[in-house]
Amino acid sequence: MKLIQLILLTALLATLVSYFRWFRKPALDKVLVVGVGLAGMVFVIFPDSTTRIAGWLGVGRGADLLFYIAIVALTYLVLLLYSKIKKLESRVTELVRRQALLEAGRENPSGEVRP
Amino acid sequence: MTVQRIYIIVPVYNEAAVISATLQDLLGTGYPVIVVDDGSTDALPQILAGLPVHYIRHCFNLGQGAALETGMEEARRLGADAVVHFDADGQHAAGAVSVLLAPILEGSCDIVFGSRFLERSGAGQLPFTRRLVLQAARYLNYLFTGILLSDAHNGLRALGPLALQKIRLTQDRMSHATEILEEVHEYGLRYREVPVTIRYSPYSKAKGQSLLNSVNILFDVLFKKMQK
Repeated sequence: MKLIQLILLTALLATLVSYFRWFRKPALDKVLVVGVGLAGMVFVIFPDSTTRIAGWLGVGRGADLLFYIAIVALTYLVLLLYSKIKKLESRVTELVRRQALLEAGRENPSGEVRP
Repeated sequence: MTVQRIYIIVPVYNEAAVISATLQDLLGTGYPVIVVDDGSTDALPQILAGLPVHYIRHCFNLGQGAALETGMEEARRLGADAVVHFDADGQHAAGAVSVLLAPILEGSCDIVFGSRFLERSGAGQLPFTRRLVLQAARYLNYLFTGILLSDAHNGLRALGPLALQKIRLTQDRMSHATEILEEVHEYGLRYREVPVTIRYSPYSKAKGQSLLNSVNILFDVLFKKMQK
């Protein structure tokens, strides 16, 4: 197994686990975004650096390395959004339920039964 | 604890064709009925006019699990000791209510599940793929919850005082059936299955769950496990 395979596999796993365990703090999300942004800028300014890093890791070209990293990052992003949507859904449910319970009886089309 | 106040909860989403018959049938049992309108866009309010039911409406559709939880929350507010879950689509017979409640009333169970497979109660009419899905669901439920029921997805249930107090449904859609089992396991609730008859009509069959939806349920359950 090449070093890159090990790293990407670990990163994918860590993405899943860390996401559910720790990364729910927005601050950490921001650090991550800034980190990725800065790294991107460095690679743009020194394009050869990606090839060199790729060489160390056992990947042929720098572009391939970025491609692999992008896949991992996007996977993380999708999971992040999925979790946010789930959370929003549960809040919407809570809101709709409260409103429904408040209006129970008032919006009653028939006589309500209270034994 | 004696069980005195019992409510029947009927989640309804666009069931105008059959809801009237279902409710007439249920009101014959003498128990008060809570109808949870899960954002129906049909003429449900007009159909219910004049029927002595307790009506709650979600302003838009959330799913059956959410509707059941809203119904149970209302029942808790009304001081219920026990509730019965009953599908609106006309496939359950009102006679099942007393069968489900019997173990609760005698205090031997916290929660009672209806099963169409305990006795020869019409399960033979099920199409092969549905039976296959239900079998798979049984064992998946067992894997996740340690509880092996004969019928994984039966809408008929009775919850006694302890179950009503402990169980909170957070799975809005169809995954609540598995969620209930998880909570039964978690709180060590005493459960039992009783045989119930399901009447399959072309209408209720069309509303039955698809194979694809069981994949949804699997993912809902897995996701919830990972978040814990």
